[in-house]
Amino acid sequence: MRETILYQGEAIEALLHKMARDLHASHGDKPLAFVGIRTRGVILADRLVEILSPLRGHMERGTLDISLYRDDLDNLAALPHIEGSDIPFEVEGATVILCDDVLFTGRTIRAAMNVLLDYGRPECIELAVLADRGHRELPIAATWCGARVETRREDYLRVHFTETDGRDDIAHYQREAP
Amino acid sequence: MSTRIFQQARVVLPGNAEPESVMLRVRDGRIAEISPSLRPAEGEDVIDCRGHMLIPALCDAHVHLREPGQEDAETIESGTEAAIAGGFTRILAMPNTDPPVDTGGMVGFVQSMAKSRSRIPVSVAGCLTKGREGAKLAEIADMADQGAVMVTDCNHALQDAYVLRRALEYTRHFDMVVGVYPDTPALSAGGVMHEGTVSFRLGLPGIPAMAEEIGIERDLRVAAAVKGRMHIQNVSTAEGVASIRRWKARGVNVTAETTPHHLLFNHEDLRAYNTDFKMMPPLRTREDQEALLEGLCDGTLDMIATGHAPHTDFAKNLDFNHAPFGIIGLETALCALHDALVSPGKLSWSLLVERLALAPRKLLGLPGNAFEIGAPFEALLFDPEGKTRIDRDTLKSRSFNTPWLGETLRGAIQNVYLGDLTL
Amino acid sequence: MKTVAPRKDLLSFDDMSREEALAILDTAKPFKDLFTRSVKKVPTLRGKTVLNLFYEPSTRTRTSFEIAAKRLSADVTNFAVSTSSVVKGESILDTIDTLQAMQVDYMIVRHGASGVPEYIARHTKASVINAGDGYHAHPTQALLDAFTYREIFPDLQGKRIVVAGDILHSRVARSVFDLMHLLGVEVGTFGPATLIPPTIPDYVKVFTRFEEVLEFNPQVLYLLRLQLERQTANFFPSMREYHRVYGVTAERFRRIREMGMYIMHPGPVNRGVELVDDVMRYERSLINAQVENGIATRMAVLYHLTPEVKSRSGETEDHA
Repeated sequence: MRETILYQGEAIEALLHKMARDLHASHGDKPLAFVGIRTRGVILADRLVEILSPLRGHMERGTLDISLYRDDLDNLAALPHIEGSDIPFEVEGATVILCDDVLFTGRTIRAAMNVLLDYGRPECIELAVLADRGHRELPIAATWCGARVETRREDYLRVHFTETDGRDDIAHYQREAP
Repeated sequence: MSTRIFQQARVVLPGNAEPESVMLRVRDGRIAEISPSLRPAEGEDVIDCRGHMLIPALCDAHVHLREPGQEDAETIESGTEAAIAGGFTRILAMPNTDPPVDTGGMVGFVQSMAKSRSRIPVSVAGCLTKGREGAKLAEIADMADQGAVMVTDCNHALQDAYVLRRALEYTRHFDMVVGVYPDTPALSAGGVMHEGTVSFRLGLPGIPAMAEEIGIERDLRVAAAVKGRMHIQNVSTAEGVASIRRWKARGVNVTAETTPHHLLFNHEDLRAYNTDFKMMPPLRTREDQEALLEGLCDGTLDMIATGHAPHTDFAKNLDFNHAPFGIIGLETALCALHDALVSPGKLSWSLLVERLALAPRKLLGLPGNAFEIGAPFEALLFDPEGKTRIDRDTLKSRSFNTPWLGETLRGAIQNVYLGDLTL
Repeated sequence: MKTVAPRKDLLSFDDMSREEALAILDTAKPFKDLFTRSVKKVPTLRGKTVLNLFYEPSTRTRTSFEIAAKRLSADVTNFAVSTSSVVKGESILDTIDTLQAMQVDYMIVRHGASGVPEYIARHTKASVINAGDGYHAHPTQALLDAFTYREIFPDLQGKRIVVAGDILHSRVARSVFDLMHLLGVEVGTFGPATLIPPTIPDYVKVFTRFEEVLEFNPQVLYLLRLQLERQTANFFPSMREYHRVYGVTAERFRRIREMGMYIMHPGPVNRGVELVDDVMRYERSLINAQVENGIATRMAVLYHLTPEVKSRSGETEDHA
């Protein structure tokens, strides 16, 4: 696999700030709840809240574990370890910013929305992703997107965060040409 | 007049511990000559036995043929064919059929069926009490007249020492052995395996060793007091062996048997609830196993009997609690004992022949088939380097309930000879 | 992502590592958290069939499994089997062949005879969960007990438990012994000598007087249900004497309360035999918590098992 680093360090910071600014401008003073999808969606939510907190004051925070809602449990070699979801606020009527690192087929987002809806009926759900690599299999689109990346279906696109991986970047892995 | 010469066989001769290479001339079904070298005469059949053992054919004093009544598990024909395949030319059929063999008429019936359906002679045991109920003596003299050689209630242990006493007294006039299954039903009731660490772990109701120990001790005391002729079936415990040793030293007229499986397995082998390891008495501990071998070597235990107990797949496929006790044993006895005891040197060939061929014949009142001039020639040819695969295709028995199913044992029976016949 | 290898059946703890036991217990926690949501159900086992095969009646355990399976969105069927079917010439194998044809994914088996779930597991592709067999094992009971214990003491290493009562006839005792030992808990036992055979595992300490139990000072005193018919088989002379010598009497309950010991019991309780009624209202009685935790634990077990009928391709695809 050939690794190409598309964004790193300050470039990632710039993407995050741009997303945060756009989000803030769109919602004004309306209360927001940031819900991250385990594992790196949680970091994305944390970063956005951190950037926005001087501007907006208190924002609700939550975490989703979508393992129990996956549609491919039958096809996995090993069962995912369940951490559980943590939604410590009232979902009923909330405006939820659902956060994930990469948007790909859309199946994770489908599962995440199902989890969320089982907690209650939010007023609306918006989707924030750091990178959108295309190849959707469901009619799902990001409301807020850091970067759009051209990929082939068989490529890998990885977001790394300092908190989990010791570095901030978006890495594109392509199979070497035969 | 037919004559055969068995050339260069390794043979166990009476009085010799180790087999030696000799030639045998067999004439009219009897051993005519034994010599280091024999010249074949004109027209004599010569059988080349190089590399093989020629030993007296085996005799099993404890076989359940199931006919009449449970022909889906075994018949006289299939059971005796299994015996031949296992190297046996004589067996004792147990009386716990349906109906049980508890009258002279039934003994005669089984004898006549055996005559037409079996290629080997079958000895018959009758019930000790009517219907094996442990209450009233069966008509022992009638059964003796029809040729029964033993009375036994099989695994229905006598609860009542009084009945045992009277049986041992009454049989003294009829040249009849009283076979006892030593047990204390109040202690063993409900149990399905040896009571110990394994039964605790598996959560199965146990049969304590003391049930057998008390049974053996009681039965021996009664036998000592009334001087009857008693045979103890299926000894499984170390303390049981010790009791027999003690009472034999005091001159009690008793013989005792154990089985290949009690010699070769113990309760640790039972872990997976495999019903092919469920038998009565149950497989005991490693220490019991060792004591049985010791008793077999020093003569406390006179013989090995297989307790051949066929059960259908349906019965043995029940859960461990409900499945019946017992396993088949005729076709595995010699190879399994050879493989596990003789081959590694734990048991000599001569002792194996004594315990598995000669002693049981004596119990059944049959002429001995040790290799002596004039003795009836009943023998088997065994290849110690051969292999015997135990599976559904090879077993002659109608049932397949053996713990050796699927295994390959070292040694193979090549031929079985009964007089002039090759079976 | 941390993962555990798939397992087909849960029959006992004989072949389970501490790591695997902890994985199941850790998984039960997020399942329990689900119960506070407005929708208590997750779609994990949607389209799967769970069969309750109870040869022994037990409404409590069966219902607990049924709720657990339904909260995972499985279809649940209760297969009524009469215990007399064995006598009537229908072997368990016949039943299993029938059920196999019905494409069942999970079988929850309870049977009065030890070894039956293991036997069934060997003959079916479905995952088999032992819901109690004879005196052999009751692994989900032990798991829910350990889960309840860990809610109070998250690290069980070096903790102590005393299991009191009829060990001889108890599948619960065997499974609790095994699992607690696996999790590093020191295990003791207390009860009449007739009901604590010398064949119990070596690691179990046997106490003959209640004072010794107090000296051992376990965090949890686990009382087993006493089957009232044991009295007739001379395992002990009378209920009155059993309660006085081996039960939690009013006086003993005072000592237990002073020492802050927790009480567990697999239910249903014989009041006045294993314990005095006051124990039921004791703030450190975990008996109700055990029942509640049964559902989450059994959900975790169902999630943890992988029937052979599932087609696991073996490749871990990126799920993004």
